[in-house]
Amino acid sequence: MEFIENYLYYIASFGLILIGLYIMLIKKNLIKIIIGLSIIDTGVNILLITMGYLRNGTAPIFSKENLLPSRMVDPIPQALVLTAIVIGVAILALALALAIVLYRHYGTLNVSKIRGLKW
Amino acid sequence: MVNPILLIVIPLGGAFAIPLLSFISKKLSKYISLVVTFTMVAMVGILIPEILIDSIVVKIGGFTPPFGINLVVSPLSLFFTGIVSLIGFLVSIYAIKYIKEGDIVNYHLLFLLFLTGATGVVLTGDIFNIFVFFEILCISSYALVAYNRDRDGVEAGIKYLIQGSVGSAFILIGIGLLYGLYGSLNMADIASQIHSVNSPLLYLALFLFITGFGVEGAIFPLNGWLPDAHSSAPSTISAVLSGFAIEVGIYAVVRFVWTIFGALNILHFLAGLGIITLIVGELSAFIQNDIKRLLAYSSIGQIGLILFAISVGTSESISGGLFQILAHALSKALLFLAAGYMIYKVGSREIKDMKGIGARMPVTSFCFLIGAFSLVGLPPFVGFPSKFIIIKSALLTQQGYFYLLVGAVLLGTVIEISYFFKLLQGIFSKTTDTKIDEAPIVALIPIVILTILIIGIGVYPQIVNEFLQSASHNLIDKMGYINQVLGVL
Repeated sequence: MEFIENYLYYIASFGLILIGLYIMLIKKNLIKIIIGLSIIDTGVNILLITMGYLRNGTAPIFSKENLLPSRMVDPIPQALVLTAIVIGVAILALALALAIVLYRHYGTLNVSKIRGLKW
Repeated sequence: MVNPILLIVIPLGGAFAIPLLSFISKKLSKYISLVVTFTMVAMVGILIPEILIDSIVVKIGGFTPPFGINLVVSPLSLFFTGIVSLIGFLVSIYAIKYIKEGDIVNYHLLFLLFLTGATGVVLTGDIFNIFVFFEILCISSYALVAYNRDRDGVEAGIKYLIQGSVGSAFILIGIGLLYGLYGSLNMADIASQIHSVNSPLLYLALFLFITGFGVEGAIFPLNGWLPDAHSSAPSTISAVLSGFAIEVGIYAVVRFVWTIFGALNILHFLAGLGIITLIVGELSAFIQNDIKRLLAYSSIGQIGLILFAISVGTSESISGGLFQILAHALSKALLFLAAGYMIYKVGSREIKDMKGIGARMPVTSFCFLIGAFSLVGLPPFVGFPSKFIIIKSALLTQQGYFYLLVGAVLLGTVIEISYFFKLLQGIFSKTTDTKIDEAPIVALIPIVILTILIIGIGVYPQIVNEFLQSASHNLIDKMGYINQVLGVL
């Protein structure tokens, strides 16, 4: 149990990443593939947050006396995640926009039927 | 003295200015990208003599490394910046006439963001910053590939987007792991203490970085997107994607493997990967009927050669690999730009429809011929000295493994010759069609400049030699890099 307690966040984040990869590899529907991409992004963001997380930690602001730096959560991964979320949203928006145009051209979102280009 | 941060700020500022100034006139945007890229070329020209003396480390916001973000302007990164700005400038001259359809404001906006991303990746000294610029590069290139919004373009764009964004997610996981292990994001800082941790996570991180950047760098087997994206994009975008975007991916791989991880024991693996990429690319190019698809597969082959040359690992072979990057950027940009107007005039991308175009478009076809000869490696063009240095330095290592791989390189060159001559034979055969005329003068200017550069550097390879040597020393000299950034310890 202790193992799960200590590594819960890592298990969750890698679990999400693997679920996302599974969806992207298995599913045929383009929208589902994009959802898989979004799940991977979420997993990666949780992983980054976990890197700097401290159980019962506080915000890294010296707001009160006797607040030790060792009790503070590392703020850098949170700043990174903020940027990563913005980038993820941009990719998601572009992907959905392209999916709409693709649907207009092919009349389907099934990727095994969208094969105008081939090797 | 120019502040090197302007190399990132100017294209970014230009990209923001374009939509604002488009309220005055939509035509203004193409001249803005022209002015911006010309400024970048001029700044690189000013910086080159300073860089040859010593690298410049720019501390953004005055924070001393390892805190804050810093830019490292070393000969290696300036070499890449030079290629980015030069090809960007020539392509934006070409784009004045070529890009007419669609929303040209968006095109130039995305084009400048693309340049921002490319210069940012090569100049930055921070692993998260490299990710951010890499995403700017990737997102703008996804959108540019789908710029025409036609069937092929959108399909290629979404393929590229899905593969590229999984790659970016891998890079981000790698950054998370490295930050967890070292508590730092500064490249030099991590590099200086890389051996202080001995954890299997380190191998996972290295693997994730190679995979993530390898998608953009088109290393086999991560290059499924490349032929579609390069052939379906507008020709100007194919030229920049092939000219420097994949090389930027290779730069990132090389920077991580050499400088940060110092993992020189995987170089044999990378060299083998390079050769597989080369053979796969050349063999696939051989069977193509579509001129842009042929050029795209040929890019895969060239990237394999570059990766092989850098992975041989001696100082001379690295400078050969960098020389090959220059040769490939010039030749492939020339080929794509020349092919752009050929396709436009003929109205088809099929090679069999290009028959006899040599007589109708003499200048374009002649320049195309020179680009193809240079790519194959015929003297006196720039592809010859670069390929010569690569093969010579690989043979000088006197290892049986590299002898074997050099054999594969030569085999690849033979295949390359055969498909380029097949293409050229079609172009310069007789025809009866008389409707086709020469490309406009604005498009011919960059094509002719590239041709002159190819012949000029091919005849006098010495003029870039000193710069390439110091760039390759910069890559090998890991301690020098750390000392420059962190100050002598």
